[in-house]
Amino acid sequence: MTEASPIVLIVDDEVQIRRFLRTGFELNGFVVHEAATGGEAIRTATLRPIDIAIVDLGLPDMDGSEVVERIRSWSNVPIIVLSVRANEANKVQLLEAGADDYVVKPFGMAELLARVRVALRRQSRAATGEPTVVVGPLTIDLAARAVLLNGQRLALTPKEYRLLQVLAQHAGNVVTHQHLLKEVWGSIHVHDTHYLRIFVRKLRQKIEPNPEMPRILMTELGVGYRLAQMPAEGEPAWATAEAGGSEAQAKPDA
Amino acid sequence: MQKTVLMASLRQQALHLLLTLGLVVAVTVVLYAAIITTGVTQGSAIYLIPVLIAAVRWGVVPALFAGICGVLASAYFFVAPTYTLIVTDPHEVFNLILFTFTAIIVGQLAAQLKEQLELARQREVDLSDLYSFSRRLAVAFDVSDIHSAIEDHLAAVLQRKVILFGPQREPSAAARRNGGGMPGAVLGAVENMASGHESGGSRAAADGPGGETVVGDGDDIWLVRAVSPSRREFGVIAVNLGHASPPSQGALRSRIDAVLADATATLERLGVAHAIGEARMRAQTEQLREALIGSVSHELRTPLASILGAATVLAAAPALKNEKSLKALVQGVHDETERLNRDIQNLLDASRISSGGVRPHLEWTDPTDILHSALRSCARRLADRAVAIDIPQDLPLVHVDAVLVQQALVQIIDNAAKYSQAGSRIAIAAAARDGRLSVSVRDEGAGLTEIDKATMFHRFERGERHAATTSGSGLGLWIANAFITANGGKLEAVSAGPGLGSTLTVELPATHSAVAQLESDADD
Repeated sequence: MTEASPIVLIVDDEVQIRRFLRTGFELNGFVVHEAATGGEAIRTATLRPIDIAIVDLGLPDMDGSEVVERIRSWSNVPIIVLSVRANEANKVQLLEAGADDYVVKPFGMAELLARVRVALRRQSRAATGEPTVVVGPLTIDLAARAVLLNGQRLALTPKEYRLLQVLAQHAGNVVTHQHLLKEVWGSIHVHDTHYLRIFVRKLRQKIEPNPEMPRILMTELGVGYRLAQMPAEGEPAWATAEAGGSEAQAKPDA
Repeated sequence: MQKTVLMASLRQQALHLLLTLGLVVAVTVVLYAAIITTGVTQGSAIYLIPVLIAAVRWGVVPALFAGICGVLASAYFFVAPTYTLIVTDPHEVFNLILFTFTAIIVGQLAAQLKEQLELARQREVDLSDLYSFSRRLAVAFDVSDIHSAIEDHLAAVLQRKVILFGPQREPSAAARRNGGGMPGAVLGAVENMASGHESGGSRAAADGPGGETVVGDGDDIWLVRAVSPSRREFGVIAVNLGHASPPSQGALRSRIDAVLADATATLERLGVAHAIGEARMRAQTEQLREALIGSVSHELRTPLASILGAATVLAAAPALKNEKSLKALVQGVHDETERLNRDIQNLLDASRISSGGVRPHLEWTDPTDILHSALRSCARRLADRAVAIDIPQDLPLVHVDAVLVQQALVQIIDNAAKYSQAGSRIAIAAAARDGRLSVSVRDEGAGLTEIDKATMFHRFERGERHAATTSGSGLGLWIANAFITANGGKLEAVSAGPGLGSTLTVELPATHSAVAQLESDADD
């Protein structure tokens, strides 16, 4: 994000939400396009170069998930969905439809910016073929298939490594239970969530400096798991910690 | 028309008599053969067999006929002098008279038995129809369920096409729903009937007793009448009588009367009139509630999302970088918006619970995940408390709706923080024993009185000592309790007394088997 300003497309029918998002993004050096309807969003995404899209679920002309699917059908631009609480099944469905992540309304600007930066970083890592993912004390070298904690190489079983690898490929973004189960155990096990629970527990014992208080492999209840992105530097402490209100996902523990 | 029906019944009677005669002939042949081959002489009692068969199968007339034929046959074939109907031996005369009486009495008894049997069978069918009808009524959820139950019951009993028009049902819509085939004249009659009843039933009375109308339409004749003359809410019914002739029509109509009287009695016994009104009200309440929740969700939370988002943008704005007091204001806006959001969420959860809308999506979950997630959500409320966490690494998996349990725990922890002093200790511990997983939250706060303990899980219940000093809606623990119960667990509170802190414990069913099985399911 140091070179050219990233371009964000905001899709929401509420003018006040667009307004604060525009200000928030512009203050952080983004170029902003707005769309109030799904149709407009798809047109803009087709006609203008964009680096990331923020899509609200309740649009007047079509469902947010349809916008996600339509954009995803020809573009791999990162998409972050603005969702409501208490609808985990819906979140999972959106992630499966191609959204990269979600933020629960009401949310703070810092939380959304953190998600956006993660998605952009992941995009550029994919573009440059950068093989290492660093999460705090943990380094995952995808090329060498090596995992280091504080510089010490860890011995992981093939399944544990595969699990970590899938999470690292989406570092910072949530990965659904179904996706993890399919990638690690195969499609016939997509409903065997208990496999995942046990292996996540085993993996945490190896990669977490303090397995009682996971800071690296984070839980998104009812949705999936996420390899944490560490808090960005230079943001107000409370905005980072509490931006998402009671549903804030990425914040340091008390 | 009357003739044809009579003819049919006569034809059937004649057939029965013919069959009876056949039986007597067969018995005679058998008896004759027996006498020739074995020399048996006393055989007239065997003629009771055709009498019994005829009585049981075809009724009293064929039975008597069988008796007469039996007497004649034995007089002719087997009583000396044979091959004449003359009987000379007084002994034989006595025998034949005895046989005749026996045949008459046995025939009548058997025929009566048969009649009763048939009656009982018919009654059984009727009863089982009525029974299944009342069962359907019992599970009927709304008015249209009740209407189609009545419709199906009548159609099954009468074996005729039946269409029921409820008081709220558009006649034409009902007819369409039944696949059409309903002439306009019938619809007109139904509408008249319905509106006639509405204006006091005077018009219906003009149409005949009980408000019946018969509408002929080319091929078919339809009977239109109110289900119950006195209860308008049961609706109007149209029955296709087919091409039936007036007399058989009459029979069918009295059958319809009987069935409708039964159905009405059932309906009244079940309080269906009341239930119909109730169901309609329930449906309307449900709709209203859904609409309210939907609009509350959207109308209140959309501006909240804008306010909260804008506050975070402002707080991070370069212009406010060195404005401490302004930043504190923005922080205030942010915090209060969050509180408002939590209150709205509680109200929505509460209405979801009281309308039975909590449907847990059960999944194998690591309780550690739920606990961490709850702690993350409460991080800020716990910031100035001394939090002690004791979560063993070998907790069994639980089969629960992780999100509901997490939300319950957030309410409990939130409550512990709300009623305790800054700097006090809050201990959160999990343990597994006896197939149960327990999570306890212990605070050193206000504690509980006996009254608190009794009422704390009630809706809108707030401890009297704190109602004035601590803000809250009184929903938190009620919601927590409902969510835990929905997951098959229970929530309990213990306290040494006021001012001595309290411990809330969540118990959930856990299993070691799934874990054990997986532990053996070794990694490759």
